[in-house]
Amino acid sequence: MSLPCGTRNYTYADDMAIMRTRTHQVLFIVFLVLLFTAPYYLGNYWLGVVNLIGITLIAALGLNLLMGYCGQLSIGHAGFIAVGAYTTAVLTGRFELPFLVGLLGAGLMAGLVGLIFGLPSIRVKGFYLAITTIAAQIIIIWVINHWSLTGGFVGIKVPYASIGGLVFRSESSQFYLIMTIAALCTFCAKNLARTRVGRAFIAVRDNDLAAEVMGINLLYYKLLAFFIGCFLAGIAGALLAHWIGYMQTEQFSLTESILYVGMIIIGGLGTTLGPILGVVFIRLLQQVLATQIVPFLEETMTFLPSGFATGIGPMIFGLAIILFLIIEPRGMAHRWNLFKSAYHLWPFSY
Amino acid sequence: MKKTLILVSLFLCLALLLGTLPLSACGKPAAEKFLKVGMMTPSTGAAAEKGAPGGDGVRDAIEYINNELGGVNGIPIKLLWRDSGYDASKAATIVKEYMAEGALMFTTHASAEMTWVMELANRAEFPGMATYTAPNIYRPPQHIYGQLPDYGDDWSAFADYYLKNIWKGSGKPRMALHLLNNSTGYGARDAAKALADKMGIEIVAIEEHTATSISETDSLNRIKAAKADVLYISSTPKPTALIVKNARELGMFPAMTIGSGHAGLTKALVDLAGADVAEGVYGVFPTVSWGDNVPGMAKIVEYAQKLHPADVGNLDYLSCWSAALTVAEILKTTLETTSYDVLAKGNVESWRAIEKNGIQKLNYDAAGLHGPAKYVEGDNRLAKSVRVLQVKSGQIVPVSNWVDAPVVKYEEYSWFGN
Repeated sequence: MSLPCGTRNYTYADDMAIMRTRTHQVLFIVFLVLLFTAPYYLGNYWLGVVNLIGITLIAALGLNLLMGYCGQLSIGHAGFIAVGAYTTAVLTGRFELPFLVGLLGAGLMAGLVGLIFGLPSIRVKGFYLAITTIAAQIIIIWVINHWSLTGGFVGIKVPYASIGGLVFRSESSQFYLIMTIAALCTFCAKNLARTRVGRAFIAVRDNDLAAEVMGINLLYYKLLAFFIGCFLAGIAGALLAHWIGYMQTEQFSLTESILYVGMIIIGGLGTTLGPILGVVFIRLLQQVLATQIVPFLEETMTFLPSGFATGIGPMIFGLAIILFLIIEPRGMAHRWNLFKSAYHLWPFSY
Repeated sequence: MKKTLILVSLFLCLALLLGTLPLSACGKPAAEKFLKVGMMTPSTGAAAEKGAPGGDGVRDAIEYINNELGGVNGIPIKLLWRDSGYDASKAATIVKEYMAEGALMFTTHASAEMTWVMELANRAEFPGMATYTAPNIYRPPQHIYGQLPDYGDDWSAFADYYLKNIWKGSGKPRMALHLLNNSTGYGARDAAKALADKMGIEIVAIEEHTATSISETDSLNRIKAAKADVLYISSTPKPTALIVKNARELGMFPAMTIGSGHAGLTKALVDLAGADVAEGVYGVFPTVSWGDNVPGMAKIVEYAQKLHPADVGNLDYLSCWSAALTVAEILKTTLETTSYDVLAKGNVESWRAIEKNGIQKLNYDAAGLHGPAKYVEGDNRLAKSVRVLQVKSGQIVPVSNWVDAPVVKYEEYSWFGN
């Protein structure tokens, strides 16, 4: 990573630090202060949106580890999120186990299911693997719909999250729970990418044959990527279940899975910043379109044919994604890095 | 550098667009008083063919209420209409927005939308009403209400009609169920499980199908082997048409009576199966048809022709128009015993007032558009009636008056939700 003009690393610890300059540290602290004081200046609605962003981010981080770092294409991520959501629903709702058991159980169950559906990755890759993950989503949803324990088509109620005597009822208390877990997951994902495991993932992604020749166990690392990616999906699913309070399989559609892929591509595959930017961009765009632009267009453009103004919403959404992919195919994170590089050299252009 | 410039310009354009949106309201004189309600429809996404006309229906109806009826007791309704896109997380944030904006109540068009958000609303005591419903939405009853009867009600109303008017044999009639593999089908199955025995009907076969089925001859052969007297289909028009067609080909129909739930009994069924094939099929529907001679019809036709001509004849438009009228009536009923100041707060106090003094005291004829909407304790369905109809000469015509579907306390059955 480039450093500002005149800044040097003098120790290994300096070189490995995530926060490498004083400005970095100050900005990060300011960001954390702004984030964790959000309940004081954001209304319940916007807190809800931030909560949704936090939950989506955890799932996107998992998918990014799987796809961005390890190169295993998955289009069934919503299915793994469903596994997590229903696991916590059953554990905390039906068996009345504590929330933390539900949360960890959700992660583990989704990770194990991910392991099973990750097995084909040993023999197939690319689009072929993508098809098997679509199959995973279909099978998972079918099982949930036909298993009495999960409530079938009717769905299942999920209680509030609670730790000890503390029940996370209000939007702001849920915000602190979700953001703490999201921050923890982001920190772990960032560090995992810098470890031996992360480097092995990257080697597998770049050329699995070369990686194998170098002694990387493909079976182990591919399955590990599936486990970690799906574990995070399960955690996100559990938080979603406790946040919404009722689960039904229609909440976990194939479209949702594709949207997750879109988020990490727009944000930037194989970076920790990418999923954050991608998730924030897509979720905010969805909200702004749904609550501002589409109602405004429907109110003002009454001369248009029925449904046309409403249809402009998805069109703008699709157009924004297409423009990003054309103008910046390496994602928002790459553009951010270019901006930082330019800023580091300022005021010298070269 | 060029790319950066383009990106920065794009961001600036988006920021300008978003920044000026709130300003667009500045020129309008602010109404002193208004009653805020939230209504969402799946106008885009997987259920857009139903949600788009539904969205037109609620907006047009609110325009009619505000412009021609002068709002509710002279106070205009401020509608927060939102397109859920048939997306669960978007629907959840929309309901949170309604609560934060101080809406007095909210409605959903699709039963799935309400399923996704009902717990959020129940937890906050925020009253909601779903136009299309399923038993899990209000069983056990909490703060969510059903505007129209559900798929289980369809079954019980049809079964009652069948026993009283069609069945001529001795002993218990043998009924087969053909169900779409989702809540549309399972709602009917649950009602049959709860009521068939009590009503004196023997369920001899339960078959499932998918929305994309291309042949149902195998399942119909099993039904034939079970010697069913009557077949009840709870599905959407396409599979219903396929089953009716296959039943004709196998010589089962018209000797065996066929009935359909309201999700399948639309003009599309007749178009897809063909008028000759569908001739004689019975079914139920919870609203009147377009052009029926009821007090509320003239304005629907007028507004649809004026504002959304493509929606003329569409039953989702009609159902959602009626939802808006019902909301207005709830507000009117509430204002009879509650001061505007309480409603102006838009908080839990207002929501309790809406529920206790509005919804639970409602007694509304729905301008004849569907059965009367009246709350009965322990039963959160507002309208409880459906009409039995039959395909005759290519037209779907009513053959009964409004038939009340009994309340079923599903939560008392151990199998419900399992």
